[in-house]
Amino acid sequence: MATELPTTNGFSAQDGQTNFAVKAGLARMLKGGVIMDVVNAEQARIAEEAGAVAVMALERVPADIRAEGGVSRMSDPKMIKEIMDTVTIPVMAKARIGHFVECQILEALGVDYIDESEVLTPADAIHHVSKHVYKVPFVCGCRNLGEALRRISEGAAMIRTKGEAGTGDVVEAVRHTRTVASEISRAKGMSEAELRVYAKEIGAPFDLLRETAKLGRLPVVNFAAGGVATPADAALMMQLGCDGVFVGSGIFKSGDAAKRAKAIVQAVTHYNDAKVLVEVSMDLGEAMVGINTAGELKDSDRLAKRGW
Amino acid sequence: MTVSGAVATVGVLALQGAFSEHIQLLRQAAECLRTQNTHHHHLNWTFIEVKTPAELVTCDALILPGGESTAISLVAERSGMLEPLRNFVKVLRKPTWGTCAGLILLAEAANRTKKGGQDLIGGLDVRVNRNHFGRQTESFQANLPLPFLGDSGVDQPFRCVFIRAPVVEKILPHRTGIQTEEACSNDTIVAPSKTPVDELAKEELNADVEVMAKISTRSPALKDNEEHDHPGKEDIIAVRQGNVFGTSFHPELTEDPRIHVWWLEEVVKAVEKRQQFELADRSK
Repeated sequence: MATELPTTNGFSAQDGQTNFAVKAGLARMLKGGVIMDVVNAEQARIAEEAGAVAVMALERVPADIRAEGGVSRMSDPKMIKEIMDTVTIPVMAKARIGHFVECQILEALGVDYIDESEVLTPADAIHHVSKHVYKVPFVCGCRNLGEALRRISEGAAMIRTKGEAGTGDVVEAVRHTRTVASEISRAKGMSEAELRVYAKEIGAPFDLLRETAKLGRLPVVNFAAGGVATPADAALMMQLGCDGVFVGSGIFKSGDAAKRAKAIVQAVTHYNDAKVLVEVSMDLGEAMVGINTAGELKDSDRLAKRGW
Repeated sequence: MTVSGAVATVGVLALQGAFSEHIQLLRQAAECLRTQNTHHHHLNWTFIEVKTPAELVTCDALILPGGESTAISLVAERSGMLEPLRNFVKVLRKPTWGTCAGLILLAEAANRTKKGGQDLIGGLDVRVNRNHFGRQTESFQANLPLPFLGDSGVDQPFRCVFIRAPVVEKILPHRTGIQTEEACSNDTIVAPSKTPVDELAKEELNADVEVMAKISTRSPALKDNEEHDHPGKEDIIAVRQGNVFGTSFHPELTEDPRIHVWWLEEVVKAVEKRQQFELADRSK
């Protein structure tokens, strides 16, 4: 079971304009749930009927971004609006790393969460968006503890692993989750003086690192993402301590999207019950084809390397 | 009187959402009750996460946490939990508290739900308006007095966190069977009717809906909210009917256990009442 996230960590009771409690609070409401990538209103309805806790609206799922190449940008606001008008669950949308104007547009549109995402082509090779000033909350990807804490200090109210989106290979999501966990357990054993050195080493703000060491977990909700394709993958990420799961290409690039989506939702709730996992894993049809990240993926094609 | 060393089990529905937060607040509340040294300090509390019908039957009381009500409802249905939950709330009429998504599930009628509607548990004769205040950018927190907590609830306002929150739009007249008038109106869904198990359960069912807390539509927290424009001066944000209690905000996102303490005290009263009823029933 995941380590408990104290009910008010990371923000004081009166956190003024930035309202971090309300931003991080929505992420808490999504825990134990599945957030699904969708490219149109029809897919959004399938996700909603499957029991998704939110949908991520984007123009192309990561598998297609990978196949087609070119520059990937924020989706057409009209398409996002159609999805917002179609479903009652929260709608998230992606902005390019560092592209604060795309974020302003998504905020004005009224999306419920912005993913400043490495899946899109970065707009800034050095800076991420300063996220505290927005009313809309942000989720960001990470490969390790330093990256996670840098994003939180910039204002991210939710973290996800980067994994390797659009591959259907869960190995990178597992690697990132295990890396964050092992770095936290290292930090837990450190004195204050050691923590100061460690903060410098991993490029993390000291205060956030100290808080994380004390909690024994990231101070905000942490989802798995990037390569989850089956109910078993989803349950694996939950057993590794993630609070919930993003599924990108894994659903709508598979044989029977509606059935697989439902199965992954059941697997995330009952991740510790192997009998349920047997049941929901049966007869799902074809999984997405997938790319073996260790053998077939060139270093330059890795999306996870984007972000600083 | 509760027997010394007796155990009461309180479950938190753990299909999806902020269930861990409720468990933490319940533990804190139990500690407050223990140190207050009141007559029920001998009661030993057990708090469990509930995902299966087998876990639910061990519970004396239940919390339905915040989360996504559509997801919770669909997962409950597919996990064979929907009917056991209705049995718990509406047949046995055991103490149940829903926050936000939980309040939606406990309403007899709801509108602005997803296309094709969603399954409700029911238990409160009210109509709930889902996402009343709008989307996430309209989510807010406000310090509000809660008179049901006694003097402390008025002197020290409670920090109420509203996240894409519902409100109670209408108190409905009590009906035998389903809410027929509500069922006739478009876009409103209703919960199925259940028959209470015995006289005591019937008493809980026939209790009036009490309004426990309201928020002024002129609250400073709402002044910039464009979606929140409707006649009337107040929105109802907490209600109770017999064994069922619902709040549209999230006490589980604070470190203030006062509402959990109050509710556990209500649970103690309900458990004692049930014990006395069954004792009297047996001696008949």
